Amino acid sequence: MGSWFDYTVNGLIIGNIYALLAVGLALIFGVSHLINFAQGSIYTVGAYIGWTCVTYLHTPLPVTMLIVLVGCALLGMAIERIGLRPLAGAARIAPLLATIGISFVLDQVVQLVFTPDPRALPNPLPDWRLHVGSGTIGALDLLIAAIGIVSAAVLFGFLRFTKLGWAVRATALDRDAAQQMGVDTDAVNRTVFAIAAALGGLSGMLVGMYFNHIDPAMSFQATLKGVVAQVIGGMGNVPGAIFGSLLLGLTESYGVALFGSSYRNLFAFVLLLVILVLRPNGLFAPSRQAPPEPLTGTFIAPSKPVVVPPFVVLIALVAAAVLPLVPNIAYVLQTLTGAWLYAILALSLTLVAGTVGQISLGHAGLLAIGAYASALLALDLNMPVGFAVLSAGVITALLGTALIFPAFRLRGHYVSIATLGIGEIVGLVILNWESLTRGPIGVSGIPPLQLGGLALDSPVGSYWACLAVLVALALLQKRLLGSHLGRTFRAIRDDDVAARAYGISLNRYKGLAFAVGGFAAGISGAITAHLYSYINYETFTSQISILALTMVILGGLGNIAGAIVGAVALVSLPELFRFTAEWRMLLYGVVLLLLIRFRPQGVLGTV
Amino acid sequence: MALSRRLLLLSAASVLPARAFAAEQILAGVSGPLTGPNAQYGAQWKRGFDLALDEINGAGGVGGRPVAYTFEDSQSDPRQSVAIAQKFVSDPRIIIELGDFSSPASMAASPIYQRGKLVQFGFTNSHPDFTKGGDYMWSNSTNQAEEQPKLAEYAIHALGLQRPAVLHLNTDWGRTSKDAFAKAAAALGAPVVATEAYLPTDQDFRPSLVRVRDAKPDSLVLLSYYADAALLVRQARDLGLKQVLVGSTSIYSPKFIELAGSAGNGVFCMTSFFPGETRPEVRKFVADFRAKYGSDPDTFCAGSYDTMVLFAALVRQFGPTREAMHDGLAKIQDVPSVIYGKVRFNAETRRVQAANYKYLVIADNAFTVWDGTKPARLGL
Repeated sequence: MGSWFDYTVNGLIIGNIYALLAVGLALIFGVSHLINFAQGSIYTVGAYIGWTCVTYLHTPLPVTMLIVLVGCALLGMAIERIGLRPLAGAARIAPLLATIGISFVLDQVVQLVFTPDPRALPNPLPDWRLHVGSGTIGALDLLIAAIGIVSAAVLFGFLRFTKLGWAVRATALDRDAAQQMGVDTDAVNRTVFAIAAALGGLSGMLVGMYFNHIDPAMSFQATLKGVVAQVIGGMGNVPGAIFGSLLLGLTESYGVALFGSSYRNLFAFVLLLVILVLRPNGLFAPSRQAPPEPLTGTFIAPSKPVVVPPFVVLIALVAAAVLPLVPNIAYVLQTLTGAWLYAILALSLTLVAGTVGQISLGHAGLLAIGAYASALLALDLNMPVGFAVLSAGVITALLGTALIFPAFRLRGHYVSIATLGIGEIVGLVILNWESLTRGPIGVSGIPPLQLGGLALDSPVGSYWACLAVLVALALLQKRLLGSHLGRTFRAIRDDDVAARAYGISLNRYKGLAFAVGGFAAGISGAITAHLYSYINYETFTSQISILALTMVILGGLGNIAGAIVGAVALVSLPELFRFTAEWRMLLYGVVLLLLIRFRPQGVLGTV
Repeated sequence: MALSRRLLLLSAASVLPARAFAAEQILAGVSGPLTGPNAQYGAQWKRGFDLALDEINGAGGVGGRPVAYTFEDSQSDPRQSVAIAQKFVSDPRIIIELGDFSSPASMAASPIYQRGKLVQFGFTNSHPDFTKGGDYMWSNSTNQAEEQPKLAEYAIHALGLQRPAVLHLNTDWGRTSKDAFAKAAAALGAPVVATEAYLPTDQDFRPSLVRVRDAKPDSLVLLSYYADAALLVRQARDLGLKQVLVGSTSIYSPKFIELAGSAGNGVFCMTSFFPGETRPEVRKFVADFRAKYGSDPDTFCAGSYDTMVLFAALVRQFGPTREAMHDGLAKIQDVPSVIYGKVRFNAETRRVQAANYKYLVIADNAFTVWDGTKPARLGL
């Protein structure tokens, strides 16, 4: 019994920390309907500003907090002005990608300036501790709780009782109407970003002090936990975000109590899915609230796709096919083989995200299913590799569709978050289902790629094999999009209410799209497994899902040629920038941002 | 001034594949993380490499030719490590590859190195299957099957602990270590009473620690890296746990002291590399490292330093070709090492045997050699 009390206290302590992260995300989402992937990076920047003040300027805590607040507020305003305002007229998907790019750049800058070493951020508060149960609570825990509650209260007051607060709420409800009533929506956005960034930076500093540990790689986990917490409370709902965070903390703590530490995140993401399916507006939304997403398809703006003349495609294809005949380019071939595999993944994602409008952030999960299926079929059942790869595609199609099925009733950002959760769950199940997947040890000795006795494991062989699979799947998808199915998919994307009114069964068509997409992703994962010979649960991280989405948006949503161009560009750029050593990922982030800035509809445009 | 300028030039020449010297450099290719979540380890590697090269090239290189490395950033991502592998295999100047950091990145590249007949020398790869990738996969990483029984001996025989609980990283390394430790502990008559596996991204360990506490252990054994071990130690003390804390060799790092703060005092650990050692090669390494970087080296720096010294020795004895590296590793003997004393490889397992382990305890915020005082037993 005593332990349960301890688990509760510990859950509340960590929930308290998640709350600081979730509040800033909730505020931005409430106003601009944008999941700010850069929030975690601002959190990292805040932590490092705090560290610099404490280490070099020896400032007392209140001054440090003030500097962090002001510094991060300025950063938030800069992000809004430079990164997001130019995209105001573009499709709403463009700002999402911009925040990913900004997060990339900020993380790299922090790493270059402060080195990748973790740093200690000592807590300057007096070292007294309160005994609660068998454990203790420190002064910092109380300060974090106080700041969480006070900032939520101040925000609540600001939104309810000040003129600018009203403007923020009006903008959140209907940006165009607010603008017509004379609200300066740019100023509102600036204010919101400043407040959210200030909160994010402060939380980074406080969490850094709590753990006595900051490092430049901490931003992604922070974003992930913050997003989960705010979805539980209701996207855009500030008090809900605090409650959602505490609930998340408690769920994790009880999850550990019941099943052990390795199931901790599994519980968090299952909670996320349950809430999304049962109460998609969060626990605190009025039950009959209108869906916060627009009814018609402004999420993906229509654009005029670039028409690539068939002879250009043909020339490109022939050039790609005869490339291996050039001597001494094994490295280029290896890089392009990776690009073809990513292009297959991007084909899958551009179908579900671009054509059907279901922005998936869980595609790495599909890769992992395909890779494990093929590896285990070949190793444990001695299936021939070619057959194992095909079977893996089918298994991924079935399993992936079944896993994503609960998310079919969701729209817009909710689909992204649900699929993000599903992707994480797949990884965690692979980690924990040891009897099947060999757990953390991973699967080694996977037989190399071959087809009916023909070994394809040389650089040239695997290059041609991947290229052939890519071309076949691309042609299949082109045929699919040209058929009545393609039209139906686009109808669902553009207006699902109208589509349903015409008698289209949404679930059936979404299921079909995910099955076709799952097949392609599964094949890509399966080939990867045979090329790598070793996989474990870390081989396919959620970063890959984000990379794949970036490729798809960059190429143009729903655009087959665009997906391939996006994959080749994003796989090759980091290789091309190798000569810049530590700077290359920064350069890559900047190029990405420039592309989004000047081609928000993608290089080849949305189809 | 003149000296520091020379150092600067040397280290610049060693990082960039300076084309002017290309004809005469003896080149190793390094595949490892310089950006991304594991970048801190790549940064440590570089320090060890550069220090070793200062020494080797300061003494005129090998046969009058300077030794150098080219570091390609893989972010420990298998997609990039395979491209790098192909790049290295295709580059005739490179005669050995060092790295990668994580198992997925290293082992995904193994088939390419094996096919290209270029030795992949994974100096942090303790995965039991790494060297089984082929006869071109070699490693001088400490082997968990050998290290964990030593840790169990320290905890159970030397420190007199009877009910150890294990917290371990849920990675291939952590899992292998845990299995080896549990087996050895049971053989020594003190079976592990609880185990908890946590993810490398976890930062909050309070619930895991409460769960472990409920099994009433007299000690917590941390099979962790230094950053997560520091978090564990702090949170264990915040929770009021009084158990004896014992860490694996991987927590040995000056960073551990910095990150754990005063909570680190009283933590026992083992190390294969210890700057306080009196062997002349260790004293020289530590003094030079302090002079160059102003801090103490950790195990990762020691590993990369040792590896570069080994590379130079291989070239000196067997010549600067890829085949010489492969054949030489099976024959080479008595290479000085700050970790092992003298290095020789088992030609069957392609790993090093018999590391030296020192028993340490943290007192007054510093690692010190354990003086034999047993910790106070918990009244359980």
